[in-house]
Amino acid sequence: MPKRYDAIVIGGGHNGLVNAAYLARAGKKVLCLERRYVLGGAAVTEEIVPGFKFSVFSYVVSLLRPEIIRDLDLPRHGLEILPLDGTFTPLPSGDYLWRVNDHGKTRREIERHSKLDAEAYEEFGKSMVQMCRFVKPILGMIPPDPTSLDPRDLKKLIFLGKRFQSLSSEDRYNLVQLMTMSAADFLDQWFETDCLKATMSASGIIGTFLGIRSPGTAYVLLHHYMGEIDGAFRSWGFSRGGTGGISNAIGSAARELGVEIRTEAPVAKILVKDGVAGGVVLENGEEIHASVVSSSVDPRLTFLNFIDSRELPGDFLDEVRLYKFRGSSGKVNLALDALPEFEALPGFGRHLRGAMSISPSMDYMERAYDQAKYGEFSRRPYIDMVIPTLTDPSVAPPGKHILSCFVQYAPYKLASGTWDEQREAFGNTVINTIAEYAPNIKNIIVGKQFITPLDIERTTGLSEGNIFQGELSLEQLFFLRPAAGWAKYRTPIKRLYMCGSATHPGGGIMGAPGRLAALEILKDVGRS
Amino acid sequence: MAAQRDIVIIGGGHNALVAAFYLAKKGLKPLTLERREIVGGAAITEEFFPGFRCSTLAHAGGPPLLSILQDMQLARHGLQKLESPVRIFAPTPEGRSLTIYTDTHASAGEIKAFSTKDAEKYPEFAAGLARAAAIAAELLVLTPPVIEKPSAEDIWKLLKVGKKVRGLGKKEMMRLIRWGPMAAADFVAEFFENDLLRAVIAARGIFGAALGPWSAGSTALLLLRAAADPYPVGNSAQPRGGMGALTAAMASAAKEAGAEIRTGAEVAQILVKNGAVNGIALASGEEITAKAVVSGADPRRTFLGLVDPVHLPPSFVVKMQHYRSQGTVAKMNIALDALPSFTALKNSNSDPANHLAGRIHVGPGIDYLERAFDHSKYGEFSTAPYLDIMIPTLTDPSLAPSGKHVMSVYMQFAPYQLKNTDWTKQREPLASTILQTLAQYAPDLPGKMLAHQLLTPLDLENIYGLSGGHPFHGELALDQIFTMRPLLNWARYSTPVKNLFLCGSGTHPGNGLTGASGQNAAREILRSLRK
Repeated sequence: MPKRYDAIVIGGGHNGLVNAAYLARAGKKVLCLERRYVLGGAAVTEEIVPGFKFSVFSYVVSLLRPEIIRDLDLPRHGLEILPLDGTFTPLPSGDYLWRVNDHGKTRREIERHSKLDAEAYEEFGKSMVQMCRFVKPILGMIPPDPTSLDPRDLKKLIFLGKRFQSLSSEDRYNLVQLMTMSAADFLDQWFETDCLKATMSASGIIGTFLGIRSPGTAYVLLHHYMGEIDGAFRSWGFSRGGTGGISNAIGSAARELGVEIRTEAPVAKILVKDGVAGGVVLENGEEIHASVVSSSVDPRLTFLNFIDSRELPGDFLDEVRLYKFRGSSGKVNLALDALPEFEALPGFGRHLRGAMSISPSMDYMERAYDQAKYGEFSRRPYIDMVIPTLTDPSVAPPGKHILSCFVQYAPYKLASGTWDEQREAFGNTVINTIAEYAPNIKNIIVGKQFITPLDIERTTGLSEGNIFQGELSLEQLFFLRPAAGWAKYRTPIKRLYMCGSATHPGGGIMGAPGRLAALEILKDVGRS
Repeated sequence: MAAQRDIVIIGGGHNALVAAFYLAKKGLKPLTLERREIVGGAAITEEFFPGFRCSTLAHAGGPPLLSILQDMQLARHGLQKLESPVRIFAPTPEGRSLTIYTDTHASAGEIKAFSTKDAEKYPEFAAGLARAAAIAAELLVLTPPVIEKPSAEDIWKLLKVGKKVRGLGKKEMMRLIRWGPMAAADFVAEFFENDLLRAVIAARGIFGAALGPWSAGSTALLLLRAAADPYPVGNSAQPRGGMGALTAAMASAAKEAGAEIRTGAEVAQILVKNGAVNGIALASGEEITAKAVVSGADPRRTFLGLVDPVHLPPSFVVKMQHYRSQGTVAKMNIALDALPSFTALKNSNSDPANHLAGRIHVGPGIDYLERAFDHSKYGEFSTAPYLDIMIPTLTDPSLAPSGKHVMSVYMQFAPYQLKNTDWTKQREPLASTILQTLAQYAPDLPGKMLAHQLLTPLDLENIYGLSGGHPFHGELALDQIFTMRPLLNWARYSTPVKNLFLCGSGTHPGNGLTGASGQNAAREILRSLRK
């Protein structure tokens, strides 16, 4: 007689774990199934090179919702976020732009490039905080359905309308622009310094298949501004022990709440009978039953792989097929036996403790995108680098370092050849690009890991290697995420729910989808 | 002592003429001042080479709103619409071609040669688009609501549209919401597999804009145009005598209604006295005082050129400086000794006119269009441009000596701002790029060319007064349409200066030659003058 659970959560990524924890917290008997040997999905720490613990995929944290940290008491379970100090942008001219978490310093630094921009930078920061204040409650909101006349939906829409009207006229203007403009056009209105705009606009394209001049990227810019650490907007940090530390903390909290977690338990099918989900079948054939199935994996896997298409309405399947993934980024993790030294700012100062961004100009960023549009990886990519070992030495042998490089663009679909053929070329392009600014890089590499979108898909299961489980483009946000009419974590199948980044409010190590989905599930099945 | 008028309209373009008509109808005596010697703005017919006339700028179009055609009785004022069953003929470099007709099934038949699947999808696509367009059409004639505090009337009107939207049914309604922000390339890919067909339809989302088919939001522009003309591809109708005949008819209707029109009268300044408009000053120095002034000129010219900034709120001026209106199109008008022969029609036994009498689309694939756009992002013009062509003489021989032809060519992308050079130096290179591109599809064309007229974005600005050479008075991008055209909170045709109004394409809906901007403006102006 097989064991029976109240709920099975598919996937042990951060959202799956958060979802499981919240369900258990409400007294449910929960089983969480992870395909891999390690928990965390894209938020994992793995020892790829002996002695070096890479944050293999996701490498910085910012968006994790404070309410989740509180509710699950994550610090007690070992969560510790170490602040990441500033952003350093080396330039081909030999100059650089270095913004730090210190107003005065940053202001003086920007003044070096433009007095006007130094002024504007303050104003910009203030108004972005206003924007975040407006959008924040939306992150914690079940998306209303604008097409329904359900009072609950109307109430939410009116609430949003009222909040919008409560903004000052300037803020309203900025907000509307943020929702419709390109990051480049938006920033052009504020600043004149090319490398400043280029580096700032980068947050607008991360994880999307859009360029900084594509409308809609201004929103993604805001999405990345939303990060909060201890209530301070726009602050990013490392998790001690690598990004996997976050997943482990959530996992430990979940276990304590009674969640049973099984790793190396890949799901093959979701059991559906007469339109109602009743459990899952593992790849090894084992059947596990539950009254609720909550899937944290993306819609393509959930609905096209795990479920017999005959169980789903045709137009819903169409929507799922139209949902865009288009992985556009890769990762290069390097084990170093010394620190890289930038020609623009020799020595090993504080600038290495923050993010280092290869984003010298707007045209550079846009050209990187142009190549991706036609199915090639950028020959001169945008790279966001961090050296976690300077903040958290525990992840590498004494005196050794890790350089974690996020790279865009690396389109999942290549015009010619396969990623298996082009992986080396891709990795070397990244190293060569870095070498143009820090020539010593080539002599200090003792181990390397090149990750293409295909590798992201193979390892984590993220379709097309999209790190956000689907593009953060305007037509795939809020009540349209992942599909029009299906943004409330429910699905056409009773007792089957979605709780991953493919649902509102989307990607980044935020945990909000997992939490919101759990709350919706509990509304349907009641607390025990 | 200066003349005193009750209302002065700046510019004699189609929207200004429509506004003049409706204002005159209500008993006002509008004085319309046109800088050039002819009215029409961007909808004119000019002789560009002895014996050869053509629609120098806009060459297809509109069409004007039905209500405008009727109210102004344009037919009685000489407007004669010439329609061709062909909408678009799209040749490929390999010598194939796709012809799209107004008739859906004829088009599907043509599409079959490229994809049976697409041929089957086409009628469904056309019907779905028409339904969506019907909703968008409701918005065209609506004065955008104040989103700060919508009036009861605003809400009522939106609800009326909303009700229609609901009539679509949940699925289609969500589709409509989802489509707007999408890239046109994604939009067409949801229906069709053939790259040529995709390009022909997607082109409507980038025409005249600083957008490529992969730019998010290009679908919104496509829908905006479908709202005025609910077909999968653009309209190829033209007035007998060219676009100038349309605006001539509008001018005659406006005059008959009581408007006065002065040409060769360039407005140099809008006069403001303690916060309210007081009249205008002509370049000649002549001053005309008026109770109200309506500007048919684009927003940048109006607020950054004609009004002294001291009369405007600083934040308004700053926002206006950020209003994007840098054109990406050039125009070439060619006098031809005979009809050029298109390689794609060599083996067709039917009269070439059956294919060429509509618009000719050069842009054989989505990536082709996108690459053409890429150049403009870096301040270069496309080396393999997207061309939108008409041979008006096939439907209206009166435009050229008998047997001879005129070819009107829109070229994209030609950015107003060039990097490290300027348009005075780039005229010849641009002209030869256009002609070489044409020769790829009609090799004998250069040999048949008698003369050509080239209009760069700089010419569009200098000759036609379009700021940045933008044919639509500013980008029709997501952040510059409806309640945000030209600026958020200033989308209701009024301005920060009392009794100064806007009526041009820089206001909602601002697309093509529908005249909707002029009609909406007149309605709002009358309302606020009555107060």
